[in-house]
Amino acid sequence: MTSTPFLATREDLELLIGEVWASHVDDIDGLQPAPPHAWLSAAGDRGEPCWSGAVSVTGNWRAMIAVDLADPSARALARGMLGLDESEEIDRGDLGDAVGELANIVGGNVKSLMPGPNDLSLPLVANTLLEGAAGLHPHVILDLAWRDAPVRVRVLALRDSSPRPDSPTEATP
Amino acid sequence: MKIVLADDSRVMRQIVIRTLRQAGYTGHEILEAENGREAVDLVHREGPDLVLSDWNMPEMNGIDALATLRGAGYDVPFGFITSEGSDGMRQRATLAGAAFLIAKPFTPESFQEALAGLLDG
Repeated sequence: MTSTPFLATREDLELLIGEVWASHVDDIDGLQPAPPHAWLSAAGDRGEPCWSGAVSVTGNWRAMIAVDLADPSARALARGMLGLDESEEIDRGDLGDAVGELANIVGGNVKSLMPGPNDLSLPLVANTLLEGAAGLHPHVILDLAWRDAPVRVRVLALRDSSPRPDSPTEATP
Repeated sequence: MKIVLADDSRVMRQIVIRTLRQAGYTGHEILEAENGREAVDLVHREGPDLVLSDWNMPEMNGIDALATLRGAGYDVPFGFITSEGSDGMRQRATLAGAAFLIAKPFTPESFQEALAGLLDG
């Protein structure tokens, strides 16, 4: 199998993530382009806490689409998606659910732009950085900021036919 | 009217309920399901007027839930709300008997366009 050209452009991703925010986050502060952030793979004293949500695409095109959010961004995202006030607490279940649904929406739309047949996995969510399986390489990395905190969208895909990746994996601290 | 809403994400179910309200569809009874199997069970028990379903769900996905309902003789209007809105997915949905497919992210206007004639405002 030869590599599949990535048909979704950076502009497609910017438009898509902007539409998600406008439609579902219930927020007047939009996402802004930002310089790359030094994401760290572990929480606590090794780095700032972050959340990652990712979906895998398998079939004619093999890829992982991930969204990464700093902890305050993930909490604000969940509040926005649920229509809650900033003073209201978010439980961990809803927080992970919101991050996973964001990954699902972005991943499903990216998959729709690629030649199939392809299958989309259910989202995987972690309170740390999710990294792609071996063989996946960055195709598009979109660095953004929301309320002065980093947000990132990553599309990782096979550069050639082998090896075949499986699911996203949690980064090793 | 009675609506079965199937999505494994509670957050997305809340967004759909809010968007229905913003689109002007108020006063309907919403019955929530976390997967296709629960949606099928709710259709059996409750006899809803409409099913709104995600496609990709654990336990039973939306397209299998639709096939199960049609195979059992239920002709309740069934629409997908899913992150995948390609022509291929829309074709599969139509062939399986779905009334519409709304792609995420969506707006109240996209709900109004899909639900016109199926749901009272």
